[in-house]
Amino acid sequence: MHHAYIDKFAYQDSVVHSLDARVKFIAAVFFTAVVISLPRTSFAILFCYTVGPFAVLVLGRIPLKFVFKQILLVSPFILVFALSCPLYDKTPVKVSFGPSVFQTTVGWMRCCAICGKFVVTMLALIALVSTTRFSNLLAGLRKMGVPKLLIIQLGFLYRYIFVLIDTAQHLLRARAGRTLRNLGPKQEMKTASAMLGSLFIRSIDTAEQISIAMHGRGFNGNWRTISRLKISNNDYIFGVFFVVFIISLYFFASTVLN
Amino acid sequence: MHMANELLSLPIAGGGLVVAGGALGLICRKAKQVITSGKLALMGILGAFVFAAQMVNFRLPAMPGTSGHIVGAVLLAIILGPHAAAIVMASVVIVQCLIFQDGGLLALGCNIINMALIPTYAGYYLYRIVAAKPFSNFRTYVGVMLACLIGIEIGAVLVPVQAALSGVLVIPFSTFLITMISVHFLVGTVEGIVTVTVLVYIQQVRPDIVAGNLQGKVRLSRRTALATFAVFTIIIGAGLSLLASGMPDGLEWSYAERPDQPNFEPIISNSDSRIAAVDKLQSKYSLMPEYSVRNNDEDEKHQASAGWTSFAGVFGSITTMAVIWLTAWILRRRNSGAIVTR
Repeated sequence: MHHAYIDKFAYQDSVVHSLDARVKFIAAVFFTAVVISLPRTSFAILFCYTVGPFAVLVLGRIPLKFVFKQILLVSPFILVFALSCPLYDKTPVKVSFGPSVFQTTVGWMRCCAICGKFVVTMLALIALVSTTRFSNLLAGLRKMGVPKLLIIQLGFLYRYIFVLIDTAQHLLRARAGRTLRNLGPKQEMKTASAMLGSLFIRSIDTAEQISIAMHGRGFNGNWRTISRLKISNNDYIFGVFFVVFIISLYFFASTVLN
Repeated sequence: MHMANELLSLPIAGGGLVVAGGALGLICRKAKQVITSGKLALMGILGAFVFAAQMVNFRLPAMPGTSGHIVGAVLLAIILGPHAAAIVMASVVIVQCLIFQDGGLLALGCNIINMALIPTYAGYYLYRIVAAKPFSNFRTYVGVMLACLIGIEIGAVLVPVQAALSGVLVIPFSTFLITMISVHFLVGTVEGIVTVTVLVYIQQVRPDIVAGNLQGKVRLSRRTALATFAVFTIIIGAGLSLLASGMPDGLEWSYAERPDQPNFEPIISNSDSRIAAVDKLQSKYSLMPEYSVRNNDEDEKHQASAGWTSFAGVFGSITTMAVIWLTAWILRRRNSGAIVTR
């Protein structure tokens, strides 16, 4: 796996990318909270909420194909949960949408609502992380009071995930190259645990070397970064748009509901 | 068992965030006294190890077509000590959410509790009890097995409990609970066996690591361990009793409102005041009231108008999205054109 694979779009340059990480983070959390608290059986209102993340994604020039691929990749658990709804709740309801009125069950409506909410909140999350560099997000979180230890931990983790995943893939390729037939569960388990053990020891050795190298360069436990966090005019404009969007949808939703 | 946002209601998700954040803050403060700058790299890289280890899969016996991998919480807790392991596992869950979009942003608190805090602390405590000194191989291995199995199992039990407290369950609570317990029994057993074999391997190759001489290890005093375990027990016990008391069959209190029957008498109104309180809290903090689809004849007209409003909403949204997309497209064309002419 190449480093650039999963969050390559965070390193692009656009209006959305240049917004402050804190503003985007708070907006994403608030948006998710609003979507989650939406009624469980209304689909039309939910659909209106997609406009927000959609606009951010389009302005940030994130390909929608990538976004939906990512959503599909993480959806299995929630799909199982959603699809079990129609099995358990077969209360019939009549739903009218524009000129058409159709008969369905509460279970199906819930299933659709769960999937819909999942997609909308995922859109918001992807809109956040694919337009924000992880280091900027961490700096923003640090400013918002997340403990320093955790921030440093996250920074290290992010830096080395891709290195160690590469190492793991080397091990896997070596195993595949040496395994011509199924060896049976016992041998499989033995091989896997030896691989894990050597990976573990290798990680610890790497850590020792990195630690020595960092100390040689004067690391004393403080993470020094060139902080580029500044609330600019663009952030205020984004904030106003966000608030107007949320408030207007709230009023729209209450007219539909009552 | 990454929970998505949709499995939680706002109060439960918020509560989870507060509890997880508070616990992590405390752990960080405690760990800061013991963790020097030399150990930071070790913790970070062992976090990355968890990601890499999850790629090393193996075929499971008796279940053709499936493959297992380890989570590594107990392995880290044994080698790093529970505080550092909890921080490492929490950071893994956070990165899984933020970079790999696994698990929701609001559900992050509950995910940290279920997958980072519980397995490391509960697992470590069980391991310490069973594998107490004097050292014996057998006791160590039994301790590791138990720690993996029970640590994962408690975390897994919390998933349906949190979902049921949120009131989002359509599936009967008991079905969900039994499914989670049985699935994670297998997961925990596999995790236990692999953790033991990995420990055996490390013991043979680098005995100093397992013996606890690794720098960065923070031990947990017995009293703290007991206290944490007691707190977990109380939380889980309270949650379970809250759920169990009100609902004799299937715990289906999400059926408290039936959209098709406006006059439906809620089951919970005459059962338990605590559940009513949770429900009230939920409706208070939910930004909008529950949508009810009306079925009566006199409401036909109202329903039709609501249908038209929602139609307008969807149509308007699609138009807006199209306009945004077109504008962005035109702007991009113009910008790229500018580069070419330059």
